[in-house]
Parts: sequence; C-alpha cells; structure tokens
Amino acid sequence: MKNPLGADLVIPALALGFAAYFFVSIADLAWEAKANGVMIGGVLVVLIAVQLIRTAVALARGKASLLFNPLWEPREALVKRAGMVAVTVAFIATLGWLGLTLGLLLALFAALWIMGARGKALVVLPIAVAAAAYLLFVALLQSEIPHGPIEKLLS
Amino acid sequence: MTWDFLLAQFAAQFGLWWVIVPAILLGIIVGILPGFSPQNTLIMLLPLTLAVPVEQAMAFMIALYCANHLAGGIPAILVKIPGSGGAAATTLDGYPMTQKGQAQQALVLCFTASVFGGLITTLATIALLPWLSQIGLYLRSVEMVVVMLFGLTLIAVIAGKDTLKALIGGFFGLLIGVIGTDHIYNTPRATFGFLELYDGVPLVPALIGLFAISEALVMIEEKLIVDQSGRARALAARWADTVEGLRLSLRKWWHIVWTAFVGLLIGITPGAGASIAAFVAYQQSRLWSKTPELYGTGIPEGVIAPESANNGVTSGTLVPTLALGVPGGSTAAVMMIVLQYHGMVMGPRLFATNPEVAYGVFVSMAVAYIFMIFTILPLARYMSRVVLIETTYLAPIIVLVTIVAAFGERQYLFDMALALVFGVIGYIAHKTNYHVTAILIGILLGPLFEQYLVRALRISQGDVTVLFSSTIGNVLWGLLVLSLVLPLWRSYMQRTPLKAEP
Repeated sequence: MKNPLGADLVIPALALGFAAYFFVSIADLAWEAKANGVMIGGVLVVLIAVQLIRTAVALARGKASLLFNPLWEPREALVKRAGMVAVTVAFIATLGWLGLTLGLLLALFAALWIMGARGKALVVLPIAVAAAAYLLFVALLQSEIPHGPIEKLLS
Repeated sequence: MTWDFLLAQFAAQFGLWWVIVPAILLGIIVGILPGFSPQNTLIMLLPLTLAVPVEQAMAFMIALYCANHLAGGIPAILVKIPGSGGAAATTLDGYPMTQKGQAQQALVLCFTASVFGGLITTLATIALLPWLSQIGLYLRSVEMVVVMLFGLTLIAVIAGKDTLKALIGGFFGLLIGVIGTDHIYNTPRATFGFLELYDGVPLVPALIGLFAISEALVMIEEKLIVDQSGRARALAARWADTVEGLRLSLRKWWHIVWTAFVGLLIGITPGAGASIAAFVAYQQSRLWSKTPELYGTGIPEGVIAPESANNGVTSGTLVPTLALGVPGGSTAAVMMIVLQYHGMVMGPRLFATNPEVAYGVFVSMAVAYIFMIFTILPLARYMSRVVLIETTYLAPIIVLVTIVAAFGERQYLFDMALALVFGVIGYIAHKTNYHVTAILIGILLGPLFEQYLVRALRISQGDVTVLFSSTIGNVLWGLLVLSLVLPLWRSYMQRTPLKAEP
C-alpha cells in the first residue's frame, strides 16, 4: 500500500503560509526587529523545501500517494472528534452569556453525550465538574471569567 | 550566620506548619491545572499575604510556589498535560512510563526528584548565598544566548526517527515564538491584527492546546490511555510500587543532585526560568547517559532530570531577588512586592538588617520541601488510578477544563480560542509525527533566545563576534559543540565494531 503523504504536508503548508505572512509583516521594520525572524524563517523555508523534495521523490517512485488518511483514521473516532471541537467552539462563543458554571455544565453534557456516555454519569459528571469549577475559579480564586445566571444567583 | 541562628530559623519555620501545609495543598491543586501559574495565584491572594505578618506571608508564598513547581509534573505524567512550562519535558518519559503501567513509580520519581532536588539546592543556596548572588552578574546576554542554544538542541535530540520533521516543527515553533512586538522598538510582527498577541504568544494556551487538547483528541481512539498490560498493572497497584519508585530514586540519587544544580544555576539568572532549566537538564542527562537511545521510551532518568531541575530553579530564582533586588522571575517579583510592602529593602543590606527574613525565605523553602514529601508521597498510589478512567469521560473533561484554565493566565477569552487553535495544530502534528514537544520548545525558547541575541547584538552595534567575546561564553560554546559532537562520535564508535564483524 502506498504511503499517504498528503497529511505530512499540512504542517509544512501551515508553516510556509505563516512564514510568508511573517516576512510581509516585517518587511519595513528595522534590522533589530527582523533579524531573528528572517534567520528562523529562512531556515524553516529551506527545511520545508527539503521535505517537499523528499515527498516528490517518493511520489515519483510510486511509493507514496497524496491522501490524508492519517488525519481521519480511525473513521469511528472522526465524528466524536469533530463533535468535541464543535462543542468547544460553541462553549467559547456562548461563555459571555451563559457564564462559566452553566456553560461548562451544558458543554460537558453535550461532549459526553457525543462521546457515547449514557446513564447517571451523563448527569452527575457535568454537575460535579461545573460545581468544582465554580468553587475554584469563581469562589476561591475570584477569576474574572464571565459570570452568567448561576454566578449572579449565587453572588 | 551561626548554627544557632539557623536552627532557630528552622524551628520557627516548622512552627508555621499550619500556614505551610494548606499552602502546599493549594499549590498542588493550582499546579495540576495548566493556566494557574504561581504568580497568578499569589496575585489573587495578595490581600491575604499583605494582611498577615511578613514571616507567615513568605512561608505561605514559598510553600505554594514550590508545591506548584512539583505538581506540574503530575498531569504531565498521567495524561501528558504539563501543568506548567517547566513540566513539559517531563512528558517525554513520564507519559510513556504511564502507558507501560508504571504511573505510580513515575509519580514517586517526580515527587522525590522535585523534593530532594529542591531541598539540596535550597541548602546549597543557604550555604553559598554570597557567592551564588555573583553568578547572575557573570551570565549576561552573550552567555545566555549559548544557554538558550543548549535548550534548542533538544529539538534535534528528541527527533526520534525523523529529524527533518522535528526540525520543521521546532523552527515553526520558533517562528511562532517571534510573534508580537520586538524588544527594541515595540513594533508588532505577525500579530494577525490581534492586540492580544502584541505581548507575544502566551505560553499557557500554547501548552494547553499542543499537549492537553491534541492529546485528548487522539486518546478518544482508544478506550483507555494505557494498553491491556498497563491496565492490569494499574489495577494491581500496591504500596510496593511506591516503594519501588523510592528505590529507583535512591539508585539515581546522583542524577537528582547534578540536574538540580543545573536548575539552580539557570534559576539564578534573571529572566531564565523552569522551562529552559528542565529542557537543558533533560538534554544534558541524555547526553551523558550510557543509553541515550532509551530516552523518550519511559525511563526514570527522563523524569528525574526535568523535575529535579525545575525545582532547583525555585531557590535560584530568589537569589537575585533578595541579594540584588532584581526579581529572578515573575513569582519572585510578586514576593518582592510583599516584602517591600512590609518595609524590607532588597539588596545586600537585607542580609545585614533583616537576616531572619533574608535567610528565613530559604529556610522556609527547605521546610516546605520536607513537609511536601510527607504530604504528597502517599497520594501517588491513588493518583495513578486516573489511567483507569475511560477516555469517554476523560477526554471531554480534559478538553473543557483545560480550555477554561487557558483563561487563567491573562483573563482573555481570546486565549481560550487560541488554545483550541493550538489544539488542532497539535492534533495534526501528533498524527503526522511532527513532535509537538519540538514545536513547544520553539515557542518557549524563541522569545528568550531573540531577547538575549538582540540585546547582545545591540550592545556590539551588530557585530556578531560579540557572541565569542567572553571567557565564560566561550567555555559554554565549547560545551555546546561537545554536546553536539559527542552523540555523533558515540554512535560512530558503536557502529564501527559492527562493520568490522564478518
């Protein structure tokens, strides 16, 4: 089976894109501000070029393909993984309105459900973790994390 | 300073057990959580420490600080999530030990290395304080450039099978580390227009994303984070495993001692911290090992070196704070505020005018470490059972709780989103073998390296030969070259007899 090297190019592609943006952003700066970045970015570009050549040689010899399989496999975990990321995005986006305690409770409930948890643990765990987070972050350490209805009720 | 004075100081500090023990417990809790650094916790508790007598305030802060340094290694070993930057190197061998079902032994190694590393360096600091306070004056930007390079060489060292991928990861991390305003003109670089990135990429969201979130996204592929044999060993965990961990620590006592002194020497230098100390100690430990190829597979030395070094830093950080009035780190700066609030004047005079406070700080640290070993060692057996929790429950809790912790350091919602972005990058790196530790080393050391390099070049008006202008610096350069050449020479020597065989 051919080695799926498409996935191996994602990090180099991200790094190359970022390096290009970095060079544009420092173009007009004084040498002190860009010396280090130019040096690091230059070496990074060379390393990526070597990686690209290595991939091209493997492709030319028919030993590799440009598939992205390692990123998706195993397929059964893909839905859980994507679901967890989506829940986390929703948690961050709604934290300002829901506050830490309610937001964490709902997000953890949703994430556990997506992961396949059922029964008592699905209810008990989110309540326990949300309560612990409230005690540590809000009550004890008085962090400035957004307050929602529960924090306002308990204050 | 007389023996009577020292004994009186120890007696006084032991009498403060009711301050030290709760501080240790609080330090362990916040140390386990990435995002709650000791300085943040101390700032939040500033009203308390300003209200009580200075001796009690210092005992509380010191105990919390030391416990925090120790606790960062716990999640690093159990779930590959370093509680702080100083514990990032602990994941390299601590987590593989857990996967082999040796979580309890790894935790005991972490605790003993931390406590004895911290204790030895604290006692050494008390004895050698006048001389140690001078070291910081000799390690200037030129020498620190080389110290940073010692840490950066670890990128190649941890590469494993694919050096090119590790180097790409490391240099990608270094470039990310350059984000933010430059050190001379404060002009923003590659900030994507976000004001939150003007101070550079915050370490905690990067740490949480690259380790905690990426690891959680990967661990859901399996039911447990350990394999069947590891599960069986974890289920059969007994006190004998704690004893085995202690036995391993005793066998490696010299390793604890010398890596702790690496931490002490780096800690004395203002600005350098536990992260660089842990990585340099790990790199040096591997370099001088007879079995360097075993590093990264879960060996005791790989846990001892970073843990001992990052606790060796604790006393070192306070040397320039007290002796010179220059805080050795952000936590030391908070302690300095409390001391100054109580009317103490930092600098050499402090040892003449208030010796009970100046030396008391280090005595308090030694006492905190003694209390700590008795507080935490019995917990290793129970902590190690975390590996038996199914990933169905563990992964969502890790992702969401650490995302909340990402808020802790700077109190920005932006940092939570940033942690998620790093989590996705870390996941891709993890699945394609681009070593997340290499990326993190770059992010950690990149800004420090740039800071020292630009400072050195600025002083010399751009003349790079300044990097070879000091005797100490040149000795360090020599050691750096030696540390790069020695592994190559060693592998050449190992290959040669094989070739000679028919």
